[in-house]
Amino acid sequence: MEYKAPKEAYKGNVREVTIGKGDKALKIGGENILPLHFFDEGTLPNPPRFVLEVLDMEPTEKTPHLLEPFGDAISDPIKWAKKCEGFGVDAICLTLISTDPAEKDAPAEGAAQLVKRMLGELKKPLIVYGSGDDKKDAEVLPKVAQVCAGENLLIGPVQKENYEVVGKAILDNGHVAIAQSPLDINLLKELNVKLCKFLPPERVVIDPLSSALGYGIEYSFSLIERVKQIGVITKDSMTMMPIIANLGDECWKTKQAKENKTQGLLWEGMTALSLYLAGANILVLRHPETLKLIKDTIGR
Amino acid sequence: MIIIGENIHVIAKDVSVAIRERNATVIQGLAKEQTQSGAHYIDLNVGPMKKDTEETMKWLVNCVQDVTGLPLSIDTMNPVAMEAGLKYCKKRALINSASGKTDSKAQMLPLAKKYNCEVVISVMTDKGMPPEVESKIESIMETVSHANELGIPNEDIWVDPIILPVSTAGEGQNIAVGNLEFIKILQDVLPGVKSTVGLSNISNGVPAHLRPILNRTYLVMLAKNGLYSAIADPLDEELMAFMRGELPQITDLIHRTMDGEEIDLSPLSQKEAAYVKTARVLMAQSLYSDAWLEI
Repeated sequence: MEYKAPKEAYKGNVREVTIGKGDKALKIGGENILPLHFFDEGTLPNPPRFVLEVLDMEPTEKTPHLLEPFGDAISDPIKWAKKCEGFGVDAICLTLISTDPAEKDAPAEGAAQLVKRMLGELKKPLIVYGSGDDKKDAEVLPKVAQVCAGENLLIGPVQKENYEVVGKAILDNGHVAIAQSPLDINLLKELNVKLCKFLPPERVVIDPLSSALGYGIEYSFSLIERVKQIGVITKDSMTMMPIIANLGDECWKTKQAKENKTQGLLWEGMTALSLYLAGANILVLRHPETLKLIKDTIGR
Repeated sequence: MIIIGENIHVIAKDVSVAIRERNATVIQGLAKEQTQSGAHYIDLNVGPMKKDTEETMKWLVNCVQDVTGLPLSIDTMNPVAMEAGLKYCKKRALINSASGKTDSKAQMLPLAKKYNCEVVISVMTDKGMPPEVESKIESIMETVSHANELGIPNEDIWVDPIILPVSTAGEGQNIAVGNLEFIKILQDVLPGVKSTVGLSNISNGVPAHLRPILNRTYLVMLAKNGLYSAIADPLDEELMAFMRGELPQITDLIHRTMDGEEIDLSPLSQKEAAYVKTARVLMAQSLYSDAWLEI
């Protein structure tokens, strides 16, 4: 008897989200198969996108083997970002860490102006993360959205504490939201339900929080896996958004990554590879050599 | 459906204070209200009750029996408190609860025989809560068989599959579905046993105003599968109306959702649609979130 491999077809479809505009536009998501299930019926129109993260101020944590590839550029975010473009990224992620009340508590206006200037200098689309302080982000992110109106930035984190004000600014100024919830699928869905009452779901990307290898990656892995399953298999509209795995900083915070370069690259590489396998659509890294390592590994 | 009124429990601060201060008015008020609302048993959840056990149980049991003719369910894991309470029960009481744990089998179960009362037996074992329906069935069969050997017949055993919150990330919904399945097959594996659940645990951790609809829907679902009784809030009028068969249309909608029918929500009233959405969540047809009614 001839063996016929089973072929699944799925109901759900991860929404295709576009960030950036014009010749900078980048599509993410859009698949109607589970991660890497190329043997099933369906397609992955947009491969996972790789992004390098830059900070809006010189890093206070000076891990030499992490900062070395960027040289002097680490003191100038725009130079740093341009340097990253040279490493073959799909987009740049700018984290406005200086606005964190626990760092410099820098004002929203200056941060927004920096985003605008950077935008003018880059050939790749821009992702903007606030500091993660929900109150401060409620000032900073709407300001960024206004100053860069119409640029279709990917902006976050939008959290349950500030989704109304940040989400509204993203809607009014033509951007895309990163909806972030703390490693819990029920809370993740709840935030998407609330956000999508006024924001079209095609303007939402999920950040489930990405933990590093050895520091809870299992939670992130199974959560991403489950979001994809529920979206693609059961067609749950509120989980059919692309996923961003912002993992670089989490990895380079670990003792192991700081200890030496090889270990650091492998730490970030293994974390990225795992979350790629789970189904992440955008992976945010810190080290350009990790970027090369993982691209070589998955054979892109 | 036999309703065991849950409202006298020590987790409620007014109850624990009332017991400590021997304030009969508060306790008797709750007993009377639940009786008038149609409860069939009054549960006395006294917690571990390590201090003044004998005297407190005597006072509490008599205090409640002074105002209600309903039988009592004595709810404690402490066999000393259990026995102290059973001694004063005038009607045939319910031990709430025993389990498959070694201690419970040795100290709690024999009380059912000694005081000729009925007993709730949960699926718990020394290893904890069995994860799957099959392992729950296996563990309860073992414990029930042990109870039979002690001379407790199936008819006096109320099996409890242990309800866990549906909102627990990951597994909550699957466990809710598993418990429905458990109740459905229970009579086939243990003919003659009764069944009960701690109903409100299904909605533990959910915002307070959303808890009743989860409790009611789940009870209607469990009832369809043959549940005999529930420890629940008899003061929830809508819950009691469901159990009296006064809400046949919504009950039918919940049943059809259980059977997998994709009900069109557009012609339904807001209330009817809310029950269908809740049943979908409890059947794990739709991923749970606290915003499940807002979709």
